[in-house]
Amino acid sequence: MKGIRPSRWGGQLLHARSCPATIPRKNFLASTVRCQSTVPAPAAEDLIEQIPEEGETLPRKLPSPLPERALHSAKLAALHSRLSLSKKIPLQTLARALVTPSADPNPGFNNANLAFLGSTIINYHVAEYITCKWPRLPMAIHYEALRAFSGPESLAQISRRWGVEAAAAPGEEVDPGLLQWASNSSALVGTRWGGYVRAETDRKHSFYRRGMSSRVVLDNDFGDAVDAGSVKDAHQHHQDTSFSSFVQAVVGAIYSHSGREAAKDFVESHILSRQVDLSSLFEFQLPTRELAMLCAREGFEPPLARLESETGRHSRTPVYVVGIYSGKEKLGEGNAPSLDFARRKACMNALKSWYLYSPGNKVRVPSDMMEEGAKPWKAPHIDIGEVI
Amino acid sequence: MDVRTLSRPATQLLKSTTRQTQTLLPLTTSRGHKTTARTKRALKIAPHDSFLPNRSQPFPAADHIIYNPPASEASPEHTPFIFLPANDPRREAIQRMRLSSPEALGSVTTSPDNADDLPPAMRYPRRRAQYNLTEDDMAEMRRLRNEDPLRWSTNALSKKFNCSPIIVSIAAPAPAEHKKWLEEKAERRRERWGPIKTQAREDRGRRAEMLYRGEI
Repeated sequence: MKGIRPSRWGGQLLHARSCPATIPRKNFLASTVRCQSTVPAPAAEDLIEQIPEEGETLPRKLPSPLPERALHSAKLAALHSRLSLSKKIPLQTLARALVTPSADPNPGFNNANLAFLGSTIINYHVAEYITCKWPRLPMAIHYEALRAFSGPESLAQISRRWGVEAAAAPGEEVDPGLLQWASNSSALVGTRWGGYVRAETDRKHSFYRRGMSSRVVLDNDFGDAVDAGSVKDAHQHHQDTSFSSFVQAVVGAIYSHSGREAAKDFVESHILSRQVDLSSLFEFQLPTRELAMLCAREGFEPPLARLESETGRHSRTPVYVVGIYSGKEKLGEGNAPSLDFARRKACMNALKSWYLYSPGNKVRVPSDMMEEGAKPWKAPHIDIGEVI
Repeated sequence: MDVRTLSRPATQLLKSTTRQTQTLLPLTTSRGHKTTARTKRALKIAPHDSFLPNRSQPFPAADHIIYNPPASEASPEHTPFIFLPANDPRREAIQRMRLSSPEALGSVTTSPDNADDLPPAMRYPRRRAQYNLTEDDMAEMRRLRNEDPLRWSTNALSKKFNCSPIIVSIAAPAPAEHKKWLEEKAERRRERWGPIKTQAREDRGRRAEMLYRGEI
């Protein structure tokens, strides 16, 4: 996860951008280039002025149900108790977590602030867990693991499993226990927090992608380029981000009402408890060469493939089992219908077992030190980096 | 009357004779399990030794756990001993285990003298660093390559200087026009391929990609 540097925020706002920001940004922090700013957005006051005073007749329908109606919604009470939320979290806050910016652009009534707070908490806990649990993951796999735990698709799945349903259309009259989002709204739902719009997105070649280091610096929490709405399946994307913003807003609400420990427990039990098969995320280019480089880097003997067993060499479907050895130590094993494939597969398995090293199932993470009476911190093993 | 009516009886005669010889002379004489009892008896095989309890001790033997997992691919979650970092507690545990019972860890051997226990090494082109080339060799290599890239190909130079072709391609790359000519030659050869060969090559590339993604 990127380090947040508050000292740079002011500088970001004062400096001019090198390229014209032609990307339309309709969210609540419309004026900031880097959207991780705490400066109040000027658009907010204009929006609040639109709310009619008490006693006046309402000129038009409200975009979302009134907060008072939350106390009378059976769906909301059921959701509150299904999530085993603390009594400190009022139903009104849970109702507000269900209103996305696409339904109600007013930041005083939608979940944008809570979702931003929640997303930072979720991403922090997931990132520290991944870093401590799999200290040798390459950066690309690290990003994908982060996305698998806390990406919009995963969080949308979680919120659906909580039993959250969307209203057919947002409005004043709908049940406050339904998620309110509109796919055709001009207000972007998205988690457009963090990251910069790259200068090269203005050019024609939008597929042009820089290396991993610039992804760490420039792009969002999942290493994706911050881009204006040119997503392929826009409806699905908006739906996922709307549903995921509810999960993020619930975590934000727990943090604001019940504190840090409760938010961490909630993230651990609902998000980090899910299983991800990291070994299926790898795609190698030259596994034999990468393994040789790894052995050279770590000072092991160069890897040597040995044929452990074979069957049906002259048949149509032979099977070869090849083991990769460094000296006398076995690094990996693979089986395939050809000698070459079996050797490459064995190399891939050896590399995967290197990258997927884990110190154990119960790893200590830095946020454990915030507990009362925590044992002294022992630095975890963090690898020096990728091989190639 | 045309030729076909005449020839038909002759072919039928031929066919019938071949069929008869096939039925009369089976390739292997074998008896099928025609009854249930025979089938059951034939399928009754004693279990493998690893499924049976340990009988080496006399009768009131110690508790014996039969551990016989099915053959399966090793999981990448299991880190090999050599990949464990120095401060990992598993490293010490494995070392202790190896010292106490060297045969408990299967193929991994601890004593240095029994290299024959390992399976046979495969033969494939791999890096064998020799460091036998000098500056003059490199210059000579470059001169020969520029003089006649057709005669002094990568393989010819690697044989002459007793080094790997990769070193030749790094130290003395071919001139650009020669590379272009080679590429055009390969392209002309590729154009002569028929649809079956083209498809086979594409499939081979696709299989390699799938392998690298871990899909096959």
